[in-house]
Amino acid sequence: MKTVINEQNRRNFAAQVESMLHDKLAKCYQCGKCSAGCPVNFEMDYTPNQIIKMTELGMEDKVLNSKTIWLCVSCNTCSTRCPKGFEVTGIMDVLREIAEKKGIVSKVEKEVQMFHEVFLDNVKSNGRIFELELVGKYKLKTRHLFRDMFLAPKMLEKGKLKMHGEKIADLNQIAKIFKDFE
Amino acid sequence: MKLAYYPGCSLKGTSFEYEVSLLKILETLNIEVKEIPDWNCCGASAAHSINHNLSVALPARNLAIAENGGYESVLAPCAACSNRLKSADYELKTDDILKKKITDSLEMPYKSEMSINNMLEFLIGVVGKDKIKSKVKKPLSGLKVASYYGCLLVRPPKIMKFDDPENPVTMDELVVLTGAEPVDYSFKTECCGAINSLSKPDVVMALTGNILYDIKKHGADLVVVACPLCHSNLDVRQREIERKYDEKLGLPVLFITELLGLSFGINPKDLAIDGHMVAADRVLKKIEGLPNQQ
Repeated sequence: MKTVINEQNRRNFAAQVESMLHDKLAKCYQCGKCSAGCPVNFEMDYTPNQIIKMTELGMEDKVLNSKTIWLCVSCNTCSTRCPKGFEVTGIMDVLREIAEKKGIVSKVEKEVQMFHEVFLDNVKSNGRIFELELVGKYKLKTRHLFRDMFLAPKMLEKGKLKMHGEKIADLNQIAKIFKDFE
Repeated sequence: MKLAYYPGCSLKGTSFEYEVSLLKILETLNIEVKEIPDWNCCGASAAHSINHNLSVALPARNLAIAENGGYESVLAPCAACSNRLKSADYELKTDDILKKKITDSLEMPYKSEMSINNMLEFLIGVVGKDKIKSKVKKPLSGLKVASYYGCLLVRPPKIMKFDDPENPVTMDELVVLTGAEPVDYSFKTECCGAINSLSKPDVVMALTGNILYDIKKHGADLVVVACPLCHSNLDVRQREIERKYDEKLGLPVLFITELLGLSFGINPKDLAIDGHMVAADRVLKKIEGLPNQQ
């Protein structure tokens, strides 16, 4: 792996992550406890402790394009067990947010990323989640039209899928929240 | 004490059984809660995954409405919602700059003075064990129940401040109150795959499969949960998991509110237990001690 690190870029990236994270990357001493307990480590391209070290080394492209940041389900096992109290789960949020703001679309895990985006669009337009609309739009966007469709008839029969969503009354305030913070 | 109720989106949709059974047992317990007026989605995992500020601002609106409405305590039965509400409250307490931006945007003050409770905290802390015990009319003796906690009730501990993050026992204590026998097993707080249910179904089935087969191995008749997302993965995906790993599970997954309701002698239909994908009939027969039980 050929990685030439420009010191200024390295510092900028590490500083950006640290300021969003409110934590210090140097806290991590690479014991690997986070990665050992991670329930989705078997699918990741880099383990969580590798992601922390790579961020510290300024390997921005590799980190922001990794599968790992999108596979993390934020179960918080890593942060809970970290002997240094480092925000391991938090760094995944920060890296996803940076990737999202830079317009980086994950090549391998784009469906996870799309799900988050479609979910927030649904909140923006209704104030609440309308599950059927959420699933429909997600399926259209990912073109996985038939995946999980076999579950639908029984879910409908059980009353789990509501045909109508609820919109909140003060949608203006939701629009303002999104305008101010999106 | 004025108690606010934050149902969240799942309890109005795929996990309607949770709300039906919750309201039913509150009736028996004679406790009144009021839904937060015009509440909005907490942003769930999607918001904190890609936009930190939004993940604080969306729950903050609900919290501010409740606090300014004079409520002292909020019940959020969904583990994900309670996690997001508590996390937002923590951020608002510790990040003054973000707090000012958010309260300015909402045009509402917020003092962080309410207690925010997940379902188990509410049952143990607000309702109390004695009161629950006094309502048990039909002890569920002979029933073996595995409590599955998942991630969001207990982690991160510095914000959730609830039970032990590796070996929680609160739900098991509630199971004891119903007269059923709690089952000890290894996967109590292992992740079910949560929000990736739709985007990474294979990963979710592997994780959920581990949990369900371990529960089965330890001889449980059923599983209880206090999270709609856990319920969805353990119940809705169970048939698929059985097919994928070619081994039968047949484990009904009940909300803790439903198990309590059964022990209060409430009709299973009124608790919406027939709304689950994995039928609980066989187990219900065992509870009622019908002659044809195996």
